[in-house]
Amino acid sequence: MIGHMYFPLLLQPTKSFPSALLSLLLVMAVHSSRTVSLSRSQNCGIPLQQSLKLTRLIHKESVELIRTYKASQGAMSELFCKSSSSEVPQPKISGLEPSERLLSVSSILQSFLPHLQRVLEQQTDLQSPSSRLLTELSNVRNRSTSLASVISCLYQNLFPNLPAPEPAGGPTQMPPPQNIFQQKVYGCVVLRRFKDFLLNVARELRTLKSRVCRMPPANTLF
Amino acid sequence: MQFGNVSRRSVRQSSSSGRPCSNYQARSLLDMAMVLYIGLLHRLLLACLVSSSLAFSAEFTFDVNILPHSPAVEIGKNFTATCSLANASEATADDLIWYFSSKIIPREQYNKINTSAVNVTITITSETPSRLFCRVNKSKDTKDTYGIELHKGYPPERPENLSCVALQVDKRISNNVTCSWDTRKRANLIETKTSLFFSSGSDEEKEKEIKDADKNSGTVTLSIFPHHMNAKVWVVSENKLGKVKSDVLETEADRFAKTNPPFNVVAISEKQFPESLLINWSQPIEKVYVKLIYQIRYCKHGSQTWSEIPLDDTAREIHSFRLQYLRPYTLYITQVRCKMYREGFGYWSDWSRNATKMTPEDKPKSKPDLWRTINNTEGRNRKTMHILCKDPELSNGRIRIFKVKMQSLPWKEVAVNRTGSEDLAVDLRQIEDPRGIIFVEVIACNSVGQSPKASLKIPRNQHQFPPVNKLMWKSDKGQLLIEWQTPDVSAGGSPPMHNLTEYVVQWVSGKDGKMDWQRENRSTLKTFIRGDLENFIYYNISVYPIYSDWIGQPVTIPAYLEQGAPSHPPSIKLEYLGSNNAKLVWTDIPQEKQTGFIVNYTLYYFTLNESDVQAIILPANTYSYHLMTLSSNTKYLTKVKSSTIKGSATSPEHMFITAKYAPGEVKGIVVGACLGFLFLLLGITILCFYKWQSIESKWWPTIPNPENSRIGTWTPDFHLKNKARCRPYASVQAHYSLPVTSTLIGYHCLASGVGALKVQFSELRALGVAASTPPNAALQRFNASTAP
Repeated sequence: MIGHMYFPLLLQPTKSFPSALLSLLLVMAVHSSRTVSLSRSQNCGIPLQQSLKLTRLIHKESVELIRTYKASQGAMSELFCKSSSSEVPQPKISGLEPSERLLSVSSILQSFLPHLQRVLEQQTDLQSPSSRLLTELSNVRNRSTSLASVISCLYQNLFPNLPAPEPAGGPTQMPPPQNIFQQKVYGCVVLRRFKDFLLNVARELRTLKSRVCRMPPANTLF
Repeated sequence: MQFGNVSRRSVRQSSSSGRPCSNYQARSLLDMAMVLYIGLLHRLLLACLVSSSLAFSAEFTFDVNILPHSPAVEIGKNFTATCSLANASEATADDLIWYFSSKIIPREQYNKINTSAVNVTITITSETPSRLFCRVNKSKDTKDTYGIELHKGYPPERPENLSCVALQVDKRISNNVTCSWDTRKRANLIETKTSLFFSSGSDEEKEKEIKDADKNSGTVTLSIFPHHMNAKVWVVSENKLGKVKSDVLETEADRFAKTNPPFNVVAISEKQFPESLLINWSQPIEKVYVKLIYQIRYCKHGSQTWSEIPLDDTAREIHSFRLQYLRPYTLYITQVRCKMYREGFGYWSDWSRNATKMTPEDKPKSKPDLWRTINNTEGRNRKTMHILCKDPELSNGRIRIFKVKMQSLPWKEVAVNRTGSEDLAVDLRQIEDPRGIIFVEVIACNSVGQSPKASLKIPRNQHQFPPVNKLMWKSDKGQLLIEWQTPDVSAGGSPPMHNLTEYVVQWVSGKDGKMDWQRENRSTLKTFIRGDLENFIYYNISVYPIYSDWIGQPVTIPAYLEQGAPSHPPSIKLEYLGSNNAKLVWTDIPQEKQTGFIVNYTLYYFTLNESDVQAIILPANTYSYHLMTLSSNTKYLTKVKSSTIKGSATSPEHMFITAKYAPGEVKGIVVGACLGFLFLLLGITILCFYKWQSIESKWWPTIPNPENSRIGTWTPDFHLKNKARCRPYASVQAHYSLPVTSTLIGYHCLASGVGALKVQFSELRALGVAASTPPNAALQRFNASTAP
C-alpha cells in the first residue's frame, strides 16, 4: 500500500467495530491518496512541463525536418515517404496504466534513437557537409536524446517504486545494409514515424498531466 | 655558483675504472670509448635539463641543494625552504647561510634539521626578492651555492555572481552561451587557468578555457541550445597556489535566452476610435522554443517621456494591443519588447523599431482661447481693438474656421490659413475706436465638428472688476515666473457682479510690440510664462482677472527674462556753465529698448591735473546734476555711467572749461563803477549847492564896481571917446586861481594924465568862471606901474 498508516484517536468506543473499521479504512485510503497526489504533484510539475514542451519542440522540428528531407532527396521523394518498414518502431504507445504507457513512451523513444543516428549517418554520406538537412537531423537527434533522459527522469519521479526504464543503447532491431534508394526510403519512414510518435507522446503527456498530476480536492473529509 | 652543471665527479668515477690490454686491451679501449661517449651524452642531457630548470630534482650534483625547487609562494603567507648538504661535503648545517641577492637572512629564521640540513622560514611579501640562495659560509667554491626562483602570487579568486545569456540568431536561440562572473580585482601574478563549464542534455559537459586570465566572461559553444532542459554552469580557476570553483548555476537553460525584439510592429488608426491606436506585431521566435510575454511603451512625437502599459495587461502571449485614452490628432511613437514568459527567466529583448502613427481627428473638446488687444492706430490718434483667437487646447484636429459673433450681429466665418504647425493667434476682427460694452463669441471648427463656444465681454468701465494685487516677477532657471495675489473684491467699492473664474497673463515685447497671452485657472497665483521669451528684451506683463468672461482691470509691470548690461551708454551734454559750477544733463534710450532695468547712474568728473576721479551715484530717474564748487578757468572731464544688475555702460567723456569770471561779473563791475561815479557827482553837486557861497567867494571874488569908485566917472569907453589922446600903456595880465587870465589894458591919456583902465574880463566871462581874486591887486599893481 502506498502511504502511511493512520489511526484516528477520536473514535468513540460506543461505535460498533465494523463501522470503526470502515472509517479507519476510509481515512487510510483518503490520506494515502492525498499523499500520493501530493507527492506526484511535487514531482509532476517541472519534469512533466519540460517533457511536454520538449516533445512539442521536437515534433515541430521533425515536421520541418521531413520537409527538408523530402526537398533534399530529389525527385519522387513523396513516393518513398509513403513506404513502410518493419525495422522502424511503430509510433503507437501501448499499455493501460499510466506507468505502463509512460514506460512504453520511454522504450519506443529509446528504440528510435539508433534509427535516427543511422539516418544521420546515411545522409551524411549522401548530402554535402553544409547541408541544412544534416543540421536539422543532428538537432532532432540531440533533442530526442535529451527527451529520452527527461522521460526517464519523469518516470522515476512519478513511479519511484517501479523499475526504471532501460537506458538508450538497448537491443534494437536495425535494418541490414541498404543501397541509396533504400536509405532514402528508410530515412523518410523513420522520420515520418518518429513525427507521429512525438504527436502521440505529446498527447500522452497531456493525459498524464490530467490523470496523474492532479491537485487534491479543496474540501477533504479529514 | 652553479645552477646545475654536469657533475664531473660522476664522469670521473665512471671513467676511472681500467682493464688489462692485449685481448682485453681492445675491449677495454672500446669500453673506455663507450664510457666516454656515454658520459658525454649524459653531460649533454644534463646541460639541456639545466637550461630549462634552475635546480635538479634528483641526485645531488652540487654540494648544496634547496627544496622545493621553483615554488609558487603566496604573498602574505610564510614559506619554508630546506637547504641540505651533499653527503661528501665537508661543511655542516651550521655553515649554511640563506640570503637574497643583497641581503642575508637572519639566523633567527633558520631551523636546523640535522647536521646537514637547515630550514628557513620567510614571510612572502610583494617586496620579497624573487631569488633565494643558500650557500656554505665563507666558501668560495661555486658548487657550495644554490638558488631557487620564487614565483610570488595569490591563489585564484572564487568567481561569483555567475550569469549567462544566449542570444537569438535568425529564428533560433544561438548555441553559443556567454557567461560572465565577478572576481575581486586583483592582478594574477602567477599563471592562472580559468575554465567555464556547461553541462546540459546531450552536451554532457562542455569546457571552455578562458585565455585571458583577467577576463571575467567566456562563451561556450554547444551542439544545440538545450531548450526545456536543465543546465549546469560553473567556473573553475586554478593556479599553483590553489583551485577554486564557483557555485554551480543550475537552472533550465531557457533562463539564459534573450530573443530579438518583436518585428513588424505596426500602429493602426481607426477613424471611429479617435483616442485609440491598434498595435500589431509579430513574435521574433516560435513559441515551441520560447513562449513570450510583451511590454509596450509609447510617447508623443517630440516628447522624451515614455508611458508604459502596465505589465499585467501585456504580459501574455499576445500579438496585438489597443492603446486607449490617447489624444486625437496626435502623433504617437510605439515600441514593443518581449521576454520569456516565466518569471525570473530570460532577458528582456531590446525595444523594437518605432511604430509611428497619428490618431484620427475628433471634434474639439475645449473652447478656443479668445482674447483682445488694443493698439494705437498708426498715423491717427485713435485706438484699434483686435479680437484674437487661438486654437482650443483640445482642438483634436486642424482648426479650419472660426465662427465669430459680435454683439447681436450674425455669425461670421473666418478661415484659418496656417502654413506651418505653429499655434498662432488668428486676428478675427478689428474694432476702430471701441466704445461701450463689447460682446464676442467664437466657435472653432475642424473637419469633424465644432468646439464649445468661447465668449469674451469687454466692459465699458473696467474699474468695477478689481485687479489683482501685488503682481511680481522673477526670473527662475531660464523662465519668467509671475506671481500675484487674488483681487481685493472690496477695492471697487462694491463686489463685482460676477465671480472670478480665471486669469489671463499677457505679455508685450518691447522689441517689436508682439503680444501673447495664456490662461490660468482661478486657483493659480503664480505661473511661468509659457511663450518663447527672449533674453535682454523688455516685456510688459499684465495680469487680467476674468469675471465670468468679463475682462477685469489689469495690473502691468515691466519685466525681463534675463537682464543684460546696457546696450547703449547715455549721452551727456552741458546745459549751464559758470565759473565754479556747471549743470550736466544726459539722455538715455527708452526703457523699452533697454536690455535691463537701470538701477542707477554714476556721474564722474575730474580735472586733468587731479588723480582723483569724483563719482556721484544718482538714482535711476535722475537725468541732470548741478556740479558746484568747481574751480574757475579749469578744464574738466565728465562722463556718466548707466548700470543694470548685470553691468554698465559709460558715455564718452565730455570736456568743459569753467569761466574765468562769473557771468555778469564784468557788467557788475562796470555798472558799479558808473553808479559810483554818478553818486559821487551827485554828492559834489549837492555839496556845491550847499557850499556855493563859499566856493564863489573863493573862486569868484566880488570885484567892486568901478562905477561906484571915484574914478567912476571914467567911463569905460573914455578911451574910445578920447582915442587920440589915449594909447595903450601897459597891460597887466592878472592871473587868477583858475587858469584864466585877463588882460588889464591901461590907457594913458595925455590930456588928463589919467590913465584909463579897461579891464577885459572877456576871457573870464567866456568861461563863466568868476574871478576868485578881485582885480584890486592887479589894479594896485597897475597903479604902481603907471604912477608918474
